[in-house]
Amino acid sequence: MNDHHEQRLARVFVELADTLVDDFDMLEFLSMLVERCVELLDVAAAGVVLSDHRGALRMAAASSEQARLVELFAVQTDDGPCLDCVRTGLPVYSANLAADEARWPRFAPAAVAAGFVATHAVPMRLRRNVIGALNLFKAEPNGVDPASVQLGQALADVATIGMLQQRAIDDNTVLVEQLQTALNSRVVIEQAKGVLSAHAGVDMDHAFTALRGYARSHNLRLSALAFTVANGTADLTAIMAGGERPARRAQR
Amino acid sequence: MSGHGGANPLARAGSWVADHAAALGEPVSIGLLCETAVDRLDVSGATLTVDPGSGWPETRYATDALGAGLAELQLTVGEGPCVDAERGGGPVLVTDLDAPGTQLRWPLFTPLAVDAGAHALFAFPLCVGAIRAGVLALHRAQAGSLEPAKLTDALALAGLALRLLLDEQADRRAGSADRADGLPLHDPQVHQATGMISGQLGVGMEEAFARLRARAFAGQRPLAELAADVVARRLRFEPTEDTT
Repeated sequence: MNDHHEQRLARVFVELADTLVDDFDMLEFLSMLVERCVELLDVAAAGVVLSDHRGALRMAAASSEQARLVELFAVQTDDGPCLDCVRTGLPVYSANLAADEARWPRFAPAAVAAGFVATHAVPMRLRRNVIGALNLFKAEPNGVDPASVQLGQALADVATIGMLQQRAIDDNTVLVEQLQTALNSRVVIEQAKGVLSAHAGVDMDHAFTALRGYARSHNLRLSALAFTVANGTADLTAIMAGGERPARRAQR
Repeated sequence: MSGHGGANPLARAGSWVADHAAALGEPVSIGLLCETAVDRLDVSGATLTVDPGSGWPETRYATDALGAGLAELQLTVGEGPCVDAERGGGPVLVTDLDAPGTQLRWPLFTPLAVDAGAHALFAFPLCVGAIRAGVLALHRAQAGSLEPAKLTDALALAGLALRLLLDEQADRRAGSADRADGLPLHDPQVHQATGMISGQLGVGMEEAFARLRARAFAGQRPLAELAADVVARRLRFEPTEDTT
């Protein structure tokens, strides 16, 4: 591990622990976690699912919004490493997804079809409670390497602690408020992707990229921007014009 | 945090309300759901307000006068836990209405609520993304948090209330939901399709979702399957037709 990597890592840990802000947004926070995982770990994709308190797991964030990856979290309502991980509170992995179709009849084939060879899920644990799981994917054989798994678990731990310490609380009231809000914001984002997709004739991945790009370049929260798209008050053309050549597109 | 008894919380809440309805020989309704909440969750009262689209919530059912009063009060002063829950799309759980932090957050609402006899208020928005169907509010005469198991059950009952309201919006009789399909709200494509239909028809998200469901019922097709067709652009909703 070189110096640059270590410095980068240290910065990420500080970033994940820095949740003592008034306007903490869990969805943004988890999006950052999965993006950092893909940057720092030897993995192709990462995502976070959260328990919705109603007996289901829901995707909160993914390192990309390609339909095939999003679908991989959706099928884990039925089976998959995240479901096993949240149920047992233990890490769950497969170094060869093609051989695990009997174990995960829906998830394994979907993961293989999406181009993944191996997966590893680590629990996001708060004291005795498992609130969700961080799911790592690899596109090359031999599984997710031990160093990446360890680091992934450490990132998940810091993130989970960060989510709790964000307000000094001794019960799970605030956590439940934020979890539920994040899960609903996730639905708003899906609705907004649909609106943009219908408006511009692009696929969901492009719609999301445009949404996120616009939020970042205008210093807006993704969830807040998505809400304006979903309730019909956003300028869809401006969002789809995005950061690339906005001037030319704006003339249309 | 999830889980006591092992059963799916939503299914368990559903059987509570169904049992309650069967015992009274009545159909499942919002009112029965509120009464069930009071029976099961150790709260003083339950109130369900709906948003008919005007931005002015209406009280659909309140198990006691205090609940109705709290809803009215928040409407009058324009602030309170239910207002924030509806706006933010997440629950607002207030364990002590008389605490200084709470008073700071809702300076108009809290003193009047405490005077009226409420000390804790738990507001659960009934929403699917940008769709805001209403709020389920539970109040207690004593301060204190909802214990984790009760909180899980409250979320499940709120989920059930949401389904009842969505069924109404989709012009369906409450309680007749086909369990096989259910409402696959965990499926991102359902929400993506709703967004696309909203764009195609130029209607709000509520209307778009109701249209998607109506089309699924009419064609006897699973909602998720129909949604996948919309997302893959095999099916497009046209503004002129489809007034179902």
